[in-house]
Amino acid sequence: MPRSRRFVATWLLVVLAVWSAGAQQATLPSSPESVKFAVIGDSGTGELPQYQLANEMAKRHATFGFDRVLMLGDNIYGGQAPQDLVSKFAKPYKTLLDAGVRFYASLGNHDSPDHRLYPLFNMGGRLYYSFATKNVRFFALDSNKVDAKQLAWIEDALKNAREDWKVCYFHHPLYSNGGTHGPSVDVRVAFEPLFVAHGVNVVFSGHDHTYERLVPQKGIHYFVEGASGQLRKGDTRRSATTAVAFDQDLSFMLVEVAGDQLSFQAVSRSGQTVDSGIIRRQVRSGAGASAPVLP
Amino acid sequence: MTPSHTASSPVRGRRHLARRGVEFGLDHLIALPIGCVAALVWSNTLPESYFRVAQALAFPVNDIGLVFFFALIAKEVFEATAPGGALHSRRRATMPVLAAIGGGGAAIAGYVTFIGWIGEPMLLQGWAVALAVDVPACFVVGRLIFGRHPAIPFLLLLAITSDAIGLLCLAVLQPADGAHLALGVALMAVALGLAVVIRRRGVQSFWVYLLGPGMLSWWALLVSGVHPAFALVPIIPFFPRAPRDAGLFVDPTPQAHDTLTRFERWWRLPVQGVLLLFGLVNAGVPIHGLESGMWAVVLAAVGRPIGIVAATGAGLIFGLHLPQRVGWRELVVVGCTASIGFVFALFFATAVMPMGPLLLEMKMGALFTVTGGGLAFGAAWLLRVGRFAR
Repeated sequence: MPRSRRFVATWLLVVLAVWSAGAQQATLPSSPESVKFAVIGDSGTGELPQYQLANEMAKRHATFGFDRVLMLGDNIYGGQAPQDLVSKFAKPYKTLLDAGVRFYASLGNHDSPDHRLYPLFNMGGRLYYSFATKNVRFFALDSNKVDAKQLAWIEDALKNAREDWKVCYFHHPLYSNGGTHGPSVDVRVAFEPLFVAHGVNVVFSGHDHTYERLVPQKGIHYFVEGASGQLRKGDTRRSATTAVAFDQDLSFMLVEVAGDQLSFQAVSRSGQTVDSGIIRRQVRSGAGASAPVLP
Repeated sequence: MTPSHTASSPVRGRRHLARRGVEFGLDHLIALPIGCVAALVWSNTLPESYFRVAQALAFPVNDIGLVFFFALIAKEVFEATAPGGALHSRRRATMPVLAAIGGGGAAIAGYVTFIGWIGEPMLLQGWAVALAVDVPACFVVGRLIFGRHPAIPFLLLLAITSDAIGLLCLAVLQPADGAHLALGVALMAVALGLAVVIRRRGVQSFWVYLLGPGMLSWWALLVSGVHPAFALVPIIPFFPRAPRDAGLFVDPTPQAHDTLTRFERWWRLPVQGVLLLFGLVNAGVPIHGLESGMWAVVLAAVGRPIGIVAATGAGLIFGLHLPQRVGWRELVVVGCTASIGFVFALFFATAVMPMGPLLLEMKMGALFTVTGGGLAFGAAWLLRVGRFAR
């Protein structure tokens, strides 16, 4: 090979390697004053893949100091005894817990309702609750059982929220193209009008063991992150509502909210960025709403 | 034959056919499966519009309309306590009650074991659904298999007892807080007192019972946290009734004009409308995956016949008797028939589990239990029982 060609080939390889590394490590702005959190769903298997993903989360935490993790349900599969809480939660996320990261759980169909009392889940003994930090208010909801009492609470809590960003999370997705479960339309009919009326910006759910970002529905950005411990390879049935889907490995999400901008990144077990983008918040007649995602 | 005869005969024939069709529909509660099929089609083609309508209609249908369906069931049970009725003597009722307890126990064991094995503790809340047995469906299937046979009252008593235990569990499982419970008890006391007064005054109109004590009872149950669909169950015993019972689900004679019979005649048709709507509102489930809640209800239904046969065996050991012409083969068929939970399982599911994916899973299981009818026919054919006897 002539010298010039070898030089060009080497140069191309270097560029490709740098670009690929950049793509894998696509970083969030990580502003000092921003709200930073991670999202995991369907995590609690207690098996090696969950531990591997937890290690990747801990690695990311060193560079992106998120201080809380939203849990989308099915936090503990199988046995629900105290030792299961250790092997399927406290042990895999030990590094994060030791670093002071707080986990805020919602419960899935595989969880025991008693886990609302588990101190490390920070549920305060409630199946649905709300908490806020800076300009973001989070609403952990119970999609297993949607009764009139919860609906009244959601309406009240959303109405009274003064924060710029309203983020809801719960187990069963209102929109999903997962082949095994798919969307919970009955829950959608109950929740969505409240979300739309009171300006919810972003919704996270699990249940389908894949990652999926959906095309915004009625101004709301929906994410499915149900692959932080369980995985159904190739389960996504892509449709017009799928924006991005990843169903080849376990994944978790990193999110940062700074002012009117929410940046997100979905990361696989191997540390690869499988999706990322920015959501800009727009104010719409009293209710917060958000502009389309800019990947 | 005169010309006028030839002209009117086809019309009369068609009318007769239509009347027979309506009678058949009423006897076999055809409106309900029609509602269920419509719900399944609608919920799987336009789910969003279906759930919007179903959620809006759930309260008027389940909490108000169904009051009259359960009143008609309660009427049959109450009449069965009269002379000639299946519940008149304790001796006749003991064995089916024991069979119901055994069947219910095995059904709950099946349900709970499966939930434990699959690891979905959220579904444990729905265990009372395992006790649901569809009384009218059992009657229809039992009659089709056995014709007129002592196995029918045995089957119906078993079904009614199982449901009664289930309803009791529902009431205990969902208690209201102290203040509401006290208000509910007070209202119920007023309702029953009023019913006594009306009865003593010899009031024959059933409307007076419905609009006075009936409405008070409905309110009492609502505030107490007990499902208000049972509002007329405690009021029905105050309705003046015939001195003798003709039998469970036997049509009253044209000469019968007591209050309870007139109540049944008036409400028989509207209740079909209620059942149509009940099927429409409650049977809509997305059929894209067979989830754990469905299998739990199905396994409970599978456990019931085993429990029925085992409990009856224990009863025989302790000196109880089966009705005449009911042997082991008939008992197996009765057990299989009693695995149909259908409407009652749907109702129990809605009473015990709030709206959400878990409820849908359980509803799917409730619908699936109609296959118990096929199982009963299969067992009858295999064992040469009833219409399949040589």
